[in-house]
Amino acid sequence: MSVLAATDTSQAQDPTGFFGVLAHAAEWFIGLFQAGATNFVGLLTGIIPLLIVLLTAVNALVRAIGVERIERFGEMAARPGIQWYPVRYLVLPVLSVFFLTNPMCYTMGRFLPEKYKPAFYDSSVSFVHPILGLFPHANPGELFVYYGIAAGITTLGFGLGDLAVRFLLVGLVVILIRGVVTELITARLLARNTRTEGALA
Amino acid sequence: MSTSTTEKPKSAGAGVAGKASSVLVRVGKAVGGVVGVLYQAGRDTIDTVIRNIIPFMAFVSVIVGIVNYTGLGNALANVVAPLASSLIGLLAICIFCAIPVLSPVLGPGAVIAQVVGVLLGTRIGAGDIPPQYALPALFAINPQVGCDFIPVGLALGEAEPETVEAGVPAVLFSRLVTGPIAVVIAYFASFGLYSSN
Repeated sequence: MSVLAATDTSQAQDPTGFFGVLAHAAEWFIGLFQAGATNFVGLLTGIIPLLIVLLTAVNALVRAIGVERIERFGEMAARPGIQWYPVRYLVLPVLSVFFLTNPMCYTMGRFLPEKYKPAFYDSSVSFVHPILGLFPHANPGELFVYYGIAAGITTLGFGLGDLAVRFLLVGLVVILIRGVVTELITARLLARNTRTEGALA
Repeated sequence: MSTSTTEKPKSAGAGVAGKASSVLVRVGKAVGGVVGVLYQAGRDTIDTVIRNIIPFMAFVSVIVGIVNYTGLGNALANVVAPLASSLIGLLAICIFCAIPVLSPVLGPGAVIAQVVGVLLGTRIGAGDIPPQYALPALFAINPQVGCDFIPVGLALGEAEPETVEAGVPAVLFSRLVTGPIAVVIAYFASFGLYSSN
């Protein structure tokens, strides 16, 4: 009887002492993951449904157009001359990232002469994130570079379209600049390497 | 093809029926092809979602949960928010990430960029960082993109060893220049973004 009474009182108020500390620790510990779980459900219901539909549509489009057609274009971009810079470091990277996706897009470099390959790699790898706002199929494994920051915009109640479009447009400008700058640096390094090899021989 | 040869000796009515059935076969095949492509696209999509996207969401959720619940987020915000809410601060983040020795270390899987992106996103949502800084921040946290992958990426493009030897430092040095340029361009491109509130 006295034992029963003792348990009754301990249930009425929070446990204190050693067990109290344990109970609080357990609650805090579970709360830690409860916060994560809430976030996880938010991501699942907020991002996944749209993403699945969008990915399916774009995947179907890519299959319908076919990868071979993009390859034919790659050979064109190898030509020298200033008017081919935008083709090489803008159109070609965009098409290869869109159709071949990360990481297969870098295989398009094989149509270019050796001196352009690092620059082409640089400009296409720099485009695998700016494309995510509108076409997440291109690099779904690294979605959170964009979605992490975009989630904050959603929290504030703004639409994401403006950010996605601007991210893409700035990305286009940046990959062109990167391609040109890297091509210049590569040319200098290649020249220096061959000169030192000649001196050694 | 076999239908057309068997239909030939028969009457005109049977020929029309044969033509109609061959049209039906062609339509059926075309529709079947479209459905097949869509179905395969759906299969690929679900595959990527299960294999790449949901695991990362789980990982991100654990980090966000811990960061928010322990108050670490507020502590981090005091450090990151002032940096991420000015052009100079963003440039500092960018140049740090673009240092040629650090950039290949920060690159793999874009994990660093994604985690920092999630942290900044949380702070933007909380109002510590103005929303128009989202655009330059996207470039500031990411000048190291692909720096871990240069030899592999060049090998995929069938590059010679000499090209790789020159290409790796070329890309790394280029980032030190083009990374900050990207942040500046993004900063000016962000004028008018979410500022009408």
